[in-house]
Amino acid sequence: MKAWILRSFKKGIITSKFPRGKNETASPWSTLPIYKKGKQDPYCPAGAIAQGKVDANRCISCGLCYPEYEPSMDIHGSESSVSVSALKKSIRIYQIDVGSCGACNLEIGALANPQYDMTRLGISFTNTPRHADALMVSGVLTENMREPLRRAYEAMAQPGVVFAVGACAISGSILGKAVSDALHIDVTVPGCPPDPFTIMDAVQKARGIV
Amino acid sequence: MKQSNIALLESEGSLYTLDRFTVVPVLQTGGTIRAIEGEKIAFPESSSLSVFPYGPSSGGMVESVYFDILTQGEKIQHVGYDADFKNRSIKLSGLTMNEALLRIERMNGVHCAAYSSLFCNICESGINMDVPDQVKYLRIAMMEAERISSHLFVASRLTGGASQNIAHMNILLLREELLRTIAMAFGHRYFFGVNGIGGINRPVDLNGFAKKIRHITDEYNEIFRTLMDSRVFIDRLDRSAIILGENSSGPALRGSGIKKDGRNFHTYYEGLEFRTITADGGDALARFIVRSGEIQESAAIVEQAVSRVSKLNVDSQGNERNHSFMAGGFMETPSGDASMIVKMGNGRVESIGFRSPSILNMQAFVESVSGNTFADFLFGYESLGIWICEMGDFQ
Repeated sequence: MKAWILRSFKKGIITSKFPRGKNETASPWSTLPIYKKGKQDPYCPAGAIAQGKVDANRCISCGLCYPEYEPSMDIHGSESSVSVSALKKSIRIYQIDVGSCGACNLEIGALANPQYDMTRLGISFTNTPRHADALMVSGVLTENMREPLRRAYEAMAQPGVVFAVGACAISGSILGKAVSDALHIDVTVPGCPPDPFTIMDAVQKARGIV
Repeated sequence: MKQSNIALLESEGSLYTLDRFTVVPVLQTGGTIRAIEGEKIAFPESSSLSVFPYGPSSGGMVESVYFDILTQGEKIQHVGYDADFKNRSIKLSGLTMNEALLRIERMNGVHCAAYSSLFCNICESGINMDVPDQVKYLRIAMMEAERISSHLFVASRLTGGASQNIAHMNILLLREELLRTIAMAFGHRYFFGVNGIGGINRPVDLNGFAKKIRHITDEYNEIFRTLMDSRVFIDRLDRSAIILGENSSGPALRGSGIKKDGRNFHTYYEGLEFRTITADGGDALARFIVRSGEIQESAAIVEQAVSRVSKLNVDSQGNERNHSFMAGGFMETPSGDASMIVKMGNGRVESIGFRSPSILNMQAFVESVSGNTFADFLFGYESLGIWICEMGDFQ
């Protein structure tokens, strides 16, 4: 026990000041690429680049547009069509994987890491959609997960917010169908996978805090 | 094609197989494909038995997977599983090598470095491309950093499950530091887009990378030693899901005392010094000890690999020509050895045969957990580092 206490003191406070302060880090290519140089649109395997602009919902963070494009390092790329003031004090999230590569799942889970410590903002995960205010959906929509996703949505308390986390869930990326094929999406969180700060920022937007 | 316990590729009516730790596909005459199907349990007649359906979407699991757990009181009698719920059937046929590579990376994003290196390695040998040693060492650095990250994740799941909350948070903290270090060096926390056929796709900055990794692993070692003094933690893992014999992969195999590691047979690792960690018992504790030892060894490999990489030019060589070949290969991913056969025709993927370590480990898990108590289920499963995403098939 003593060893753990000493470790904690030695570490000090490592939790981010975000969203009051600036995010300390960002995963470069998980942020939206921005134009730097070159005359023509570079090759984009996801078809996300057209006329000098990048479609955040399609970008798969592969970085193959380098050196014409470089990471913006902007973690505020999410978009929310809702602002649910009832969730300002607390929001409980149920994560559902409908066909992901695992990376988005881990980045959502990373919000519980000491560096992010989502609980200080009133954000927590729940193990059942029955207790959830929001669904965080990751991955491309596989046929076998269509029904479990629908059931999870119906079990959730209303008004339930649906987050599509990552390019696969938002647009189907290069692998399959988007989640919008089965559910209306309220919040898009771009990136492949999105940086945890981007996910945290998206949650705050849906609650009308940002 | 569905995955089986060895890599299979069907082409023009012939069946090719690739044994573990080998690179040459073998033509099978009169062979048949043994597809593994998730076994579901019929509802028991006996009133003392009950079926506990778990999943496919459940808060306790990282990924979507379905289990039928047949129990008698606290004791698990049998477990069946269905890993097909999130099977994406990733389409690769008809794609160029570069297009296929992006999809291979996302087969298991958490082990992207290992799978992308495996695919690049197979394609490069298929087209007889001479790859600079620096690229190989860079891939090793990526794969070993990924191994540390993956092992830390498993350790965090085990400590979390055992309610060792302070250790759990400390390990999550270290993993986050590691991911940030990787992002600074490679531009992405999971190495997406770094590997290319014959080279790398963008600049990397390895300044201070190995030192930071060593710092993280040293800190983990302190945590590991403290955990090994905790009877509460050890008791939760001890004798959980015992796996013996060669029917498992990676840390599970080595946790049963078998000194087999794909890195010892792979040309990439020739000339690098590292120990193959083994443990006795074959239980969740043995697998945890193996992973913890491998974290230290991986840090040593990263140091050696990075010291051999000087300035790297961004150059993934011309590879969109009309190549035709069939080649195989293997790689030791953090969860165990994966095998793959690639058949290209006129520069396009014709077929891919694949066997992931999770296929072997899932089968080993469901067999091992029978006879355990219900509380052991989590520790057995998490200690194997199974990834459902890599158990899917390719089109």
